[in-house]
Amino acid sequence: MRVVIADDAVLLREGLIRLVEESGHTVVAAVGDGPSLVDAVTTHRPDVSIVDVRMPPTHTDEGLRAAVRARALVPGSPILVLSQYVEVSYADDLLADRLGAVGYLLKDRVSQVAEFLDALRRVAGGGTVLDPEVVGQLLVRRRRDDPLRGLTPREREVLALMAEGLSNTAIARKIVVTDGAVEKHVRNIFTKLGLHQDEEQHRRVLAVLAYLQG
Amino acid sequence: MPSVDNMTTTSYAAPSLAASTGGRLLRRLGIDTQYVLLGFPLGLITVVLFMTGFFLGLGLTVIWIGLPVLVATLFLARGFAAVERARIRPVLGRGMPHPFYKRRPDAGPLRRVLLPLTDGQSWLDLLHGMFRFIPSTIAFALVVTWWAGALGGLTMPLWDWSIPRGPADQDLPELLGMGDGTATRLIFYFAAGMFFAGTLYPVVRAAALLEAYFARGLLSGVNELREQVAEANAAREAAQAQKAAAVSAEATALRRLERDIHDGPQQRLVRLAMDLGRAEQQFATDPEAARATVAEALHQTRETLDELRALSRGIAPPILVDRGLQAALTALAGRCTIPVDLDAPPMERLDPAVESAAYFVVAEALTNVAKHSHANEVQVAVRRNATGLLITVADDGVGGAGLAKGHGLAGLDDRVRAAGGVLHVDSPVGGGTRLTAALPI
Repeated sequence: MRVVIADDAVLLREGLIRLVEESGHTVVAAVGDGPSLVDAVTTHRPDVSIVDVRMPPTHTDEGLRAAVRARALVPGSPILVLSQYVEVSYADDLLADRLGAVGYLLKDRVSQVAEFLDALRRVAGGGTVLDPEVVGQLLVRRRRDDPLRGLTPREREVLALMAEGLSNTAIARKIVVTDGAVEKHVRNIFTKLGLHQDEEQHRRVLAVLAYLQG
Repeated sequence: MPSVDNMTTTSYAAPSLAASTGGRLLRRLGIDTQYVLLGFPLGLITVVLFMTGFFLGLGLTVIWIGLPVLVATLFLARGFAAVERARIRPVLGRGMPHPFYKRRPDAGPLRRVLLPLTDGQSWLDLLHGMFRFIPSTIAFALVVTWWAGALGGLTMPLWDWSIPRGPADQDLPELLGMGDGTATRLIFYFAAGMFFAGTLYPVVRAAALLEAYFARGLLSGVNELREQVAEANAAREAAQAQKAAAVSAEATALRRLERDIHDGPQQRLVRLAMDLGRAEQQFATDPEAARATVAEALHQTRETLDELRALSRGIAPPILVDRGLQAALTALAGRCTIPVDLDAPPMERLDPAVESAAYFVVAEALTNVAKHSHANEVQVAVRRNATGLLITVADDGVGGAGLAKGHGLAGLDDRVRAAGGVLHVDSPVGGGTRLTAALPI
């Protein structure tokens, strides 16, 4: 895969470069601010970009905004965004164009190399990936009349994993059940929550998220 | 709050006692006597004027002309009160400031004219004028009696011969049963004169004070209350300003700490985690590469420790806490990239807040010098005197530093003010910079 890396901290940028290249991919550009990211994406059309949310000059969310701009110029260009802490609005902004191929992970997740690379591959393949902590926060802020209470603990687990962007197979592997069991859970969930079942993975994520946030 | 300008030692000489005490007593006696003597006619004048004016005005209020009469009386009262306030100064040893009378410059002419009717102090002045004859008369009687007794009694032997005494006349000693003799009479009256002279000073003083306190109570009592309130308010505001400075200094310090932690050790640790994750992957496939990665990770760990150590010095330097200001300043001077000439004599341990403030003043000043001044040398001096600590940091660099711009000196100013001190910056462009901080102990 051809990868673009955008992070203003030199230490982390180099770490990511090494990590990606040691896994057999190629880093076509490594940049340190928003405008350079947009240029790199439009010039190189990478298979996936890894972008830090915090960039100069204000070090708040320039990276995120640059990612959104890049997606506007190159629709559907896969982007994996890394953030120091959970900010649910970032997830909203990323998913807003509803094209999939988007990921939002916490920076700490990078140390779990295998999972990070897997997430990278999934985003490059058009899937949607959300950090479990983001999902955890979404599951927490609920209203009093909470239909999620009608779900069994197992179903809640499956719901969370769906929101993270895992496919049925991946969910099955993670919680160690059969594919069939997962599919049954998914159907129950969608019925109980009154959601329209969607085959496409990233649209499923959107639906669940929309539900959790609404 | 101490000011840098007053940080000098003062010396005084003990006055010579005997001669000046006698002189002082005599002067005070003279002052009090004239105060009381003048007060008597003043009291009579004012009681007549003000009683007349007040009741006339009051009575005529029914037809409108009473109001201007009252106002005129009040203005007259204010004038006499001003005279009295000035007169009191030598008696009480302190003047009474001109009090606050209500003013409304923006009101219409009619309202302005009638304004004194609503002003409490004017009415108090009137009250004083109307009733001051009571203490004035009492005091006058006392003072005149005692002076007459003293002067007359003491000089009696000189003029006793001139007093005609018929056979039936009886003098006081005879009435008291002491006999008829001239000597007895002279001695008696002389002794009486001694008694009056001996008690003259306290009696006159008491009489003057009676009159003066009466005046002070009415004429400036309210004002003094107001001044006390203003002082209390000012003290409270100063305390609040100090607290605000402390809060601001703390908030700034914490923000900087967060930023320093984030940009330094935290990033290194994330990189460390990434490297170790990579190493974990590499063990299976490429052990040599794994070894190299682990070596790198070790290097990162050491750098992180160094950064954390520096941060800890930025919060509460261990050497300052353990060994005190002089040792900590020596360490600072040693670390500075520009040569430092440190003049800090050993001193006893001070309040931790003061030591901390002093340390950070020098630390931040030295950082600024190293970063901006292009100086060849820095001189740091710490002096202790009775009221506080005086810290000076002077360099021969480019100058132009100010409290307003940037973060450095403004943060320093906050810190110093939070500790109750004062920071002074003298930095002409091209002429070097001199920082002076005075911290109270």
